[in-house]
Amino acid sequence: MAASNRGTFFSGAGLVWQWQRLVWWIFAVCLIFGFFSTHEMTERANFLLDHSAAAQRLVNGFDVSAIIMLQQLRDSPLEIHGPNILHFSVLFVVFMLFATGGILAAYVLDEKPTTTAFFEAAGRHFWRFFRLLIYLAIVLLPIAGLAVATSAMHTRIDDQSISPYTGDYFVEAAAIVILLLLIVVRVWFDMAQVIAVADDEKKMHHALRRAFGLLRHNFFALFWIYLRISIITWVLFALGLYIWMFRLSPRSNVAAFLVSQLMILIWLGTRLWQRASEAIWYRNYQANQVPEPAWTPSPAPMYTPVAAEPQA
Amino acid sequence: VYGPLPLANTPQSVLRVGGWMKLTKVFALAAGVAIFCGPVFSQALAPHQQATAASASADTASKPLSTRIVAYQIEAKLDPTKHTIAANETLTYKNLTGQPQQTFPFHLYLNAFQPQSTFMTEVRLAGTRGNGPDSEWDPKHLGSITVDKLEVEGAGDLTNKMEFIHPDDNNTEDRTVFQLTLPKPIAPGASVQFHIAFHDVLPKVVERTGYAHDFDMVGQWFPKVGVWWKNAWNCHQFHATTEFFADFGTFDVKITVPQNEIVGAGGDLVSTQNNSDGTQTLSYHSEDVHDFSWTASPSFTLVEDSWTGSQGPVKIHLLMSPGHMASAPRYMKALKGSLYFFDQWYGPYPYDRITLVDPPHGGIDAGGMEYPTLVTAGTSVHMPQGLLEPEFVTEHEFGHQYWYGMVATNEFEEAWLDEGINSYTEVKVMDAIYGHETSFLNFPFAHLGETEEQRGSYLGLPDMDPIARVAWKFISSDSYGDITYGKSATMLITLEKVIGEDTLRQALHTYFMRYRFTHPTGEDFLKTIEEVSGKDLRWYFNQAVYGTQVLDYSLADAHSDPLKWWETPAHGSKNSEKDELYRTYVTVERKGDFTFPVDLQIKFDDGSTTFEHWDGLDRWIRYQYDRKAKIESAQIDAHNQITLDRDPFNNSYVAAPDPRAVHKLRNIWVFASEWLSQLLAWLT
Repeated sequence: MAASNRGTFFSGAGLVWQWQRLVWWIFAVCLIFGFFSTHEMTERANFLLDHSAAAQRLVNGFDVSAIIMLQQLRDSPLEIHGPNILHFSVLFVVFMLFATGGILAAYVLDEKPTTTAFFEAAGRHFWRFFRLLIYLAIVLLPIAGLAVATSAMHTRIDDQSISPYTGDYFVEAAAIVILLLLIVVRVWFDMAQVIAVADDEKKMHHALRRAFGLLRHNFFALFWIYLRISIITWVLFALGLYIWMFRLSPRSNVAAFLVSQLMILIWLGTRLWQRASEAIWYRNYQANQVPEPAWTPSPAPMYTPVAAEPQA
Repeated sequence: VYGPLPLANTPQSVLRVGGWMKLTKVFALAAGVAIFCGPVFSQALAPHQQATAASASADTASKPLSTRIVAYQIEAKLDPTKHTIAANETLTYKNLTGQPQQTFPFHLYLNAFQPQSTFMTEVRLAGTRGNGPDSEWDPKHLGSITVDKLEVEGAGDLTNKMEFIHPDDNNTEDRTVFQLTLPKPIAPGASVQFHIAFHDVLPKVVERTGYAHDFDMVGQWFPKVGVWWKNAWNCHQFHATTEFFADFGTFDVKITVPQNEIVGAGGDLVSTQNNSDGTQTLSYHSEDVHDFSWTASPSFTLVEDSWTGSQGPVKIHLLMSPGHMASAPRYMKALKGSLYFFDQWYGPYPYDRITLVDPPHGGIDAGGMEYPTLVTAGTSVHMPQGLLEPEFVTEHEFGHQYWYGMVATNEFEEAWLDEGINSYTEVKVMDAIYGHETSFLNFPFAHLGETEEQRGSYLGLPDMDPIARVAWKFISSDSYGDITYGKSATMLITLEKVIGEDTLRQALHTYFMRYRFTHPTGEDFLKTIEEVSGKDLRWYFNQAVYGTQVLDYSLADAHSDPLKWWETPAHGSKNSEKDELYRTYVTVERKGDFTFPVDLQIKFDDGSTTFEHWDGLDRWIRYQYDRKAKIESAQIDAHNQITLDRDPFNNSYVAAPDPRAVHKLRNIWVFASEWLSQLLAWLT
């Protein structure tokens, strides 16, 4: 199993690299949405800051007071930014809901994702994945309830414990549990998507049921595929943040932009790496299944006559 | 002692303080003795006068620093499991009002922690600290103080003569003030003695005082007599935002607690006695203060140190809560730095002790409080080094030893005189210790100075209430905070532009020396500034202190135009462009209703600079220049001194656009947008 997993791990990366145009396209869409979401803010900020000496507070470092002052202005460029970000993020979610079918088709079939094939697969699976999204929302409800209960418990523990650490430890432990649960759920739904694409399964509850069975019997293999790529993501992301915040010159805009975009690219790329690995795992799984033999009549049972015991 | 300062805007500056102190010790001590005798002088003395006075008046050093009107003797016993206190108090009140007094008002402030009190009503209406209008009532938040028996020497038991009064809002459910009418008046100059048996129920910390786990913060805990002020009794109810005004005197307090409790108090520990029942009784003495508070917890870790100022050594006690020891050096540095700069700039610290209490988790709302020689701060287990919260809270609460503790203004009616002046001195001291641009936040990737933090606070709600407003009549606790702290500090920083930073510092020094151990008013403060600066500043105070005007000057237009614009421009020839004569217009507009003189700096591309001064009274002014150079930049308030200006971005025009600031903002927001997108896309 370990050798097989290692193969899946690297094969997944190879598949993402092989069909890297998918990563670049999605990244480009994400970046364009990002720019669109900040367009209005940028226009207003340009008007306020481009000819203002006070803007130097942001050029030669990051003086938080400049942000506070901008926030307090009547036509603050920042006040419109929150809703815009949210709108474009939701739009990106819709886009990804659409694109996932095309991405998985490329990975599952291991065929060059031509534009036609990509959009065809994307269109074919959009509503299926939309239904899966609704199922996911239902599944996430109890986990959300767990998070709420954790918060309430934390307040209670913090209230009763003299040690300031007890509450923190509880929250940290609960957060890890919730994170692991979320990973399990995501792997389950990822596998349902793979099944939907690989087997052209139209009924999502069937896909979910089959994916659940797969997950139950191959839990550690699938979980570990997802988790270790997640760990790579988190480490690289944290490293990127560290470089951005602590290592780059505050005056450096170009380097900051490149690092920040690299972080997004890593986030996106590793997510696709997870999907590719899961698709390969499923391909391998199917290939390794011993076909069920055709029905043959079992031989007639052989009976050995037993002599009746003599009656008394 | 007031003079050139050994400042460097780096954290190391405070480390050097000790060495510098040694060099100045002789001079400082001599001057300090003179300052210690402050009450004999009607006003502050110049340093050379202080030094001379020191030798002449050394024998007066043992005189009381204040006019001691009250003498409290209290014996209190804490039950740390029930968080209750049983106590007996003897109050000796000396009638220095100049007239017979028959009626005396008293605070019973622990009764504020009841759902129908004025305090809770105000919290429900406008919020305060961590409690908003939606806060739920927790029965554990119930606090009370009950007078079991009240006897007056010579008049007997007058318990049934107690009458709750509600001078501020007619809330008949509020029981935070009572008055007592004696059978016969107390003659001027005579004393009266009250014997009061009372018991307290401490609330679970909801604000300022109470208990959390095994921590008891005991403030506003005893019946305290009001202040005869402006020819009337001044004894306000306990409010959501204010609570302090009392007379100076002496306190002799005996506190009995279990022997495992570690106690901190606003007095000198005179004796400790272990009792046979497993308790200990600690006796404290304090004089020339107007309040007494204490704290107890078996979980405290005591950190001791000392600092030597112009009045001699000061014992420093930090009472650290579990998990917070990493903040102890930070508290200590801030406390020593504050002691040093207050001593240098504003006047001597006359007490021989200061105790800083670090509340435990769950008790943070008891943090950030000031009592005479005892303050509470606040930190957390994971306090980042770059967030200077423990530092500025420590500095702020220590600053109250001056602006509240010694200069004992009426917080109810003129809160800005302690919180506002204190916020200003917080800016100055924090800047001196931690750097002008890094005294609030100091991370490699972001920074924020105290000046701009106070300014940002002011801009939150700049024009709903004037500074000079009775505290409980602000529209909200946010407005109270933004104006009383933020605007007052910002108003004084802007005043530096008018009279100079050194002059304002001298004015604060004079104000402190003249009014310490008294109850001055806002006008006393403002007149002192005018006197020291030698300027009539009414135009400024009327707008900034008594008004709600908002200051906003804007550079409306700045451009250069060829003087002979109708002639064909000689493109491509540098010489001809150099010889071209331009007419430059610079228009400044007053967008706000606050008038303030404005300095304008105009730079041309030939390297020349022109300065203009405008009285700022009209709505706008236009300047015109004809010269062989185009405008490079025009800037109002080039040194960013008019911090009351609500919009610093419209104060300048730089001809060459510099989009780097917007690029930086855009980078961050694009990243935030993309990352949120990626997070949400996880659902798909």
